[in-house]
Amino acid sequence: MIRFTWLQFRVQARVAMAALVAFAVVLMVTGPHLASLFAASGISTCHANTCATAAGAFLSRLAVTSPYPIVYLLGIGIILAAPAIIGIFWGAPLIARELETRTFALAWTQSISRTRWLVAKLAVTGFAAMLVTEALSLMDALWADPIGKAIGLQGSDPVASVFGQGRLGLLVFPTSGIAPLGYAAFAFALGTASGVFIRHAVPAMAVTLAIFAAIQIAMPLWARPHLIPPNRMTTTIEAAQLNFGSLTATVVPGRPGAWIISSGARDAKGRPVTMLPAACQGAPPPAKPLNPALCMDRRGFREAITYQPASRYWPLQWIETGIFLALAVALTGLCFWRLGRRRI
Amino acid sequence: MSFVIEASDLGKRYGRRWALRDCTLAIPEGKVVGLVGPNGAGKTTLLHLAVGLLSPTSGSISVLGESPGDGPAQLRRIGFVAQDTPVYARLSVAQHLQMGAWLNSSWDREIADSRIKQLGLDPRQRAGTLSGGQRAQLALTLAIAKRPECLILDEPVASLDPLARREFLRSLMEVVAAHGISVVLSSHLTADLERVCDYLVVLVASRLQVAGEVSELLSAHHRISGPRRDASSLPAHQDVIEESHADKQSTFLVRTSEPVHDPAWTVRPVTLDDLVIAYMSRPAATEPAPRPLLKVMS
Repeated sequence: MIRFTWLQFRVQARVAMAALVAFAVVLMVTGPHLASLFAASGISTCHANTCATAAGAFLSRLAVTSPYPIVYLLGIGIILAAPAIIGIFWGAPLIARELETRTFALAWTQSISRTRWLVAKLAVTGFAAMLVTEALSLMDALWADPIGKAIGLQGSDPVASVFGQGRLGLLVFPTSGIAPLGYAAFAFALGTASGVFIRHAVPAMAVTLAIFAAIQIAMPLWARPHLIPPNRMTTTIEAAQLNFGSLTATVVPGRPGAWIISSGARDAKGRPVTMLPAACQGAPPPAKPLNPALCMDRRGFREAITYQPASRYWPLQWIETGIFLALAVALTGLCFWRLGRRRI
Repeated sequence: MSFVIEASDLGKRYGRRWALRDCTLAIPEGKVVGLVGPNGAGKTTLLHLAVGLLSPTSGSISVLGESPGDGPAQLRRIGFVAQDTPVYARLSVAQHLQMGAWLNSSWDREIADSRIKQLGLDPRQRAGTLSGGQRAQLALTLAIAKRPECLILDEPVASLDPLARREFLRSLMEVVAAHGISVVLSSHLTADLERVCDYLVVLVASRLQVAGEVSELLSAHHRISGPRRDASSLPAHQDVIEESHADKQSTFLVRTSEPVHDPAWTVRPVTLDDLVIAYMSRPAATEPAPRPLLKVMS
């Protein structure tokens, strides 16, 4: 049955292979020059106090050097989209097409149990789905290794560019580590289950996309921050480098690369404040400019920050991947249950 | 005697609608069985229950002495050609045969190859580009080459033109002659079945109407006509299947195991077509509980 599944899967496998090769070519063409820029930046030979400067300079230069920002974002986009594409084009039609074209009646009356049929289909295609996505992610990680190193070294003053995100960043976290593996397994199982229950490939594809997109949005917004109880910190306004429009923090002092989940200013009595106090707004020019951070600190304002430290990258990766794999297993179980009921 | 299909009180319900109910029958092995009935009568449901694609809501069914199921052992014994003979449009003829070889331990490559050759099919041609008749022949080849003990075909010729239809039935008969296997074949056209079947099952409105050997059914049914009279005045052993009345004359199609002696009647034999039409047009409200009139001697 594995051989027959492969026979049916060949076309999609070839498309995926072509995509992998194309992506690899782009990375291989641009990779060596990126590595030479990194070598020239002096980061590899820096000392404790010069590293942040060298890394910052490297990233600033990279941000304006074509085609690195584009390739960097392209990689992220492809790795984010791959699980969805797999769920839609591999998962949803996998069984739905058999039900639609009624070839299930041919397949399920060969001398092979329906369970074995489904095991082979899910194993071959599901394994390929995880392999392709993780291969994309690994290739990209290899390419972006200098960028990742520089981001990690630039300390508490990140460059505001496409390279501004640490490993816990909303675009970096889901496209690195083992998370893409979990997304691919889940999206594939979601597509397959949609196909089994909806029984028509095109509606199943639409439902797969809608559910997967909703979960990918919900996960970083509501679930990931709480997978491990976040840390809390109260610090001076100056150290937190406020965005004075909303009084939210842009860095966690002493915790480079930390992921800020929420932050806000508190007045001397501990009440939340969302606007710059009038006394610290300063007079319009040409009056002498006022340092609002200093002003607020003097009046007893403090910044409260909830965050995940950068050191939790791998624990969060394992937990998130585990959740998605568990969901994939549950959806697969639903497929077995539905087809095993022999109600066609 | 063993039975190819044996069902007792078999029923299948979809939601609130019964697709098949109270179906009790026993079809002996070694027959070519015609399963007739109008569209939506439950023919496909019965056949899907027989090959294990569906599980019954009530009652039980056994095929070749075993309950149809998911196991390879039972699946190997039955060759199935589904309605509209589905095949994988993107796979070639040769790839279909390869599939058969991979998925059936009892696969007979010689049968498959020689049939494809005999039919003049190009092994490299994609199944999606085959004509309806060729596709049906490919599906039949797949079903035969696994060397089943029984072939079940769901309206295999319904969508074929008359020539392809005749070709298909002829090759089916060759298979029966060569391998002596039981065949169950559904159709809504009796003309197809008249040529090939020696056993008939009539299904109307999800209920079994009659089942039996074609020769016995024909000798047990008569069309009798005579002076006008009411159906209730007929002898008890004469079961009225169809009646029509003119001013002075009544015509009945009756089933009886005894000869018709009343000299007032003109007795004529019926054709298979007459018989099927009579059962199909019998109003649903007056239908009696189906009784196995023609018991098979065991």
